[in-house]
Amino acid sequence: MLGFLVRRLLQLPFVLFAVSLIIVGLLQLLTPAQRAAAFVRSEQQLQNIDQIIEQYNLDENFVVQYTTWLKQVLQGNLGFSTSSKEPVLTTIKKRLPVSAELALYAFFPIVGFGIWLGTLAAVNRDKLIDQLVRILAIMGWSLPTFVFGIWLLAWVYGGLGLFGIGRLSNEYLIELAAGGFTQYTGLMTLDALLNGRLDIFWDALMHLVMPVLTLTVVSGAQIMRVMRSSLLDELGKDYVRTARAKGLSERVVNLKHARRNALIPVITLAGLMFAFLLNGVVVTETIFNYPGIGQWAAQAAVQLDVPAVLGFAMLTAVIVVLANILVDILYAVVDPRIRYD
Amino acid sequence: MKQASVKRFLTPLAVAGLALGGAFAASDSDTFVHLTFGNVDTLDPAQAYDTASGYILENIYETLYTYKKGSLTEYEPLLATSYEVSEDGKTYTYTLRKGVKFHSGNEFTCRDVEYSIERLLVTNPADSAGWFYAESLLGVSGNAKDVLGEDASDAEYDAFWEKIDNAVECLDDYTVQFNLVAPDPAFFAKMMYTAASIVDSKWAIEHGAWSGTKADWRDWIGVDLRQFDLHTAASGTGAYRLVKWDGKDVVAERFEDYWGEKPQIKNVLVSVVDEESARIEALRQGDADRITVNDRAVLETQIRGIPGVKVWEDPAWAPAAATAVQFNFNISGQDNPLIGSGKLDGKGIPPDFFTDPDVRKGFAYAIDQDALVDELFLGKAVKLTMPLPPSFLGYDEELPIYNLDLDKAEEHLRKAWGGQVWEKGFELTIAYNTGNTIRQTVAEMIKANIEALNPKFKVNVVGLQWPDFLSKSRDKQLPIAILGWGADYADPDNFIYTFFHTNGFFASRNSFSNPEMDALVEEARTTIDPEKRAELYSRIGQLGYELVPYVTIPVPSPFIVTRDNIEGVYYNPMYSGRFLWKHIVKK
Repeated sequence: MLGFLVRRLLQLPFVLFAVSLIIVGLLQLLTPAQRAAAFVRSEQQLQNIDQIIEQYNLDENFVVQYTTWLKQVLQGNLGFSTSSKEPVLTTIKKRLPVSAELALYAFFPIVGFGIWLGTLAAVNRDKLIDQLVRILAIMGWSLPTFVFGIWLLAWVYGGLGLFGIGRLSNEYLIELAAGGFTQYTGLMTLDALLNGRLDIFWDALMHLVMPVLTLTVVSGAQIMRVMRSSLLDELGKDYVRTARAKGLSERVVNLKHARRNALIPVITLAGLMFAFLLNGVVVTETIFNYPGIGQWAAQAAVQLDVPAVLGFAMLTAVIVVLANILVDILYAVVDPRIRYD
Repeated sequence: MKQASVKRFLTPLAVAGLALGGAFAASDSDTFVHLTFGNVDTLDPAQAYDTASGYILENIYETLYTYKKGSLTEYEPLLATSYEVSEDGKTYTYTLRKGVKFHSGNEFTCRDVEYSIERLLVTNPADSAGWFYAESLLGVSGNAKDVLGEDASDAEYDAFWEKIDNAVECLDDYTVQFNLVAPDPAFFAKMMYTAASIVDSKWAIEHGAWSGTKADWRDWIGVDLRQFDLHTAASGTGAYRLVKWDGKDVVAERFEDYWGEKPQIKNVLVSVVDEESARIEALRQGDADRITVNDRAVLETQIRGIPGVKVWEDPAWAPAAATAVQFNFNISGQDNPLIGSGKLDGKGIPPDFFTDPDVRKGFAYAIDQDALVDELFLGKAVKLTMPLPPSFLGYDEELPIYNLDLDKAEEHLRKAWGGQVWEKGFELTIAYNTGNTIRQTVAEMIKANIEALNPKFKVNVVGLQWPDFLSKSRDKQLPIAILGWGADYADPDNFIYTFFHTNGFFASRNSFSNPEMDALVEEARTTIDPEKRAELYSRIGQLGYELVPYVTIPVPSPFIVTRDNIEGVYYNPMYSGRFLWKHIVKK
């Protein structure tokens, strides 16, 4: 297992190199004047485009630009983000924990509901409950995040006055800006507990409700569908028939035997989903003004913020590689027949 | 047993309900929360050149003078108490206020003024507002590197430094003198823009900024100031002190040692919330005291009528901006699909298509100004007679304007290019930056009306992403550009020179040049007497009407949206936030 881990981790630098090369290469398709758009915020500044190109060396060739960037990276500096107005690394450090917190809170309901409802549908195949779950899955699957999110925003927050947008209420944002609250992990709920502030913990939790609910409804449907079909597959296999013939209860057959095997494709999907959540969920973060990494990445891409796009791509590559390793490990846990040595 | 479990279930719910109510009550009476869009670019006054940054800077820093609340023609002293202009209009002397403290606790003196303005001239990065200070004080628009080039000798750089050093002089601790290269009636207005905010020199130097001396000035020429401490931290003299800007939200608090009247609002939170619906719902809930809304349709359909919300508007309010349909007299023809064949053969236009005044007038009469006011701005807009904000000196509302008249449009286009335009027809493309619905509508309107005149006329409308639009615009490839200018400072020259002088930004890009116009613009920009100036601008407006290098489009009437317990709101287009926090009260 250790050998497997080392081998997989050694691939990481190559992945990062390839990804960065592709992105810098793609950016060469833009002219220096197009790249200057990252620095031009008003039409007044159109008159200074030539000076801007010169000031920020936007007319340098591919090799010079890439090696300059690479040198910086090797010194631990990912460059300055023109969209977040600070060094890329600072933004990642600030925003990754925000997305991670949202991902952690959303992941368990997504996977939990997905597996539970998927199982319920499969074991009650073609019965009313199955039909209901399937309708629910189709609704969740086809419901655009922004439609459901805006609906929650208008109805639950705007109409009922429940929960809130952003990460914290205004008074806590002001209090935190003044200092006196230590950010140990960047996960607001955890930090609040470590600071002994139950009020902030509760407030942060309440601000997580709407984004988590949105993600659960929209992403849970995918897990549910995969779980249902995978379990149906397993239930039709010989070993299940044997187990039933041995007189085992339906519950034991379904849950202990079939469901365990049906989980393999669900784990793959869940792993990718976690990577996706960790990487920031642009629409959800934007609607609820949740200052995660996805919101920033989307702005950076639109504004042609090259160092930010590169930094974000590096981060994505690391997350995806690590998530895949985790998925492979989980395979072995669920199915002891799987070995990597 | 059953009862107990129900109770066990209900208790946390009740607690949760109570806590929910508590957590989301409307913001405190001494806190002002503004939800807006568009991130602050930088808090360094010498680098900032955008409204989001200007909004924060105008509240935490101060200039020598400022506008009297909503007026553009009346001023009040801030860090100065009086000023004098020499007879030749080239020397401005300000007497400074005594007993003013910076947020750091340092005392304010002339040294800070000298440092702040010289720092602006030394650094003057390409994407800052430094150019218009350099124009007045040094007679050039760029920094030393732009002007002299990298290879210039040390002596040339020394001479440039001398010019900077002599531009601002402290006569004593509380008297500062600015030495201009030529009379510039706009200088006083320029000194009210946030770039001329006075920074705490002692504190800035301690925080790694330029030393204020010749010793290291060359290290600071044209540098990107976002890499240094003043980008995120500030010590000004404003009524509010910066608590924190985390790259997104800004928190400020009342400066208790402020020299002026103590404001009522204690804490201010300016938060960037890109999603408009989220801003509106927060306003409805009282979680926001003010929200930024740009589109009147959104105001009318989604906001007006929300209980507890107040919409501030006044027919006298007008934005300090002008947008115009600009005709390019010399379109770049190289690889330019926007002009088709590049010839007058019915499949394109020649690069000098718009040099014929009949072509321009034909297009001008195809723009329905009334329809734009009614449909685009729901009747709340002002038609401009010239590319100058109506509240500015010299704006003449009596001048004629081009409005929809298809007969006249036909008459001019029949005459254009000796009748060839009408006979052969043409094809051209109008590009707008994607997302700008106003420009899109104007372009579509021109298309519909021009194509209705003659089946041989073809106008394509295409949306371009900002980088692409920018690049085509810079390369002079747009046959017709719909572009606007927002005021840097409240002086007509900022608009008139830009639009009409051969070397002005828009005029030079559109290759528009007229000697009579140049002479008038030059005379107006150096005339000190306001009445005489106003008369000159009126003549410029009239000549602009006759020459039609541009057709201005209506400007929407502005409005401000707050909760109804906010009082003291006014509208000054020169303030990025339209009003200062220190003037408002929350009941």
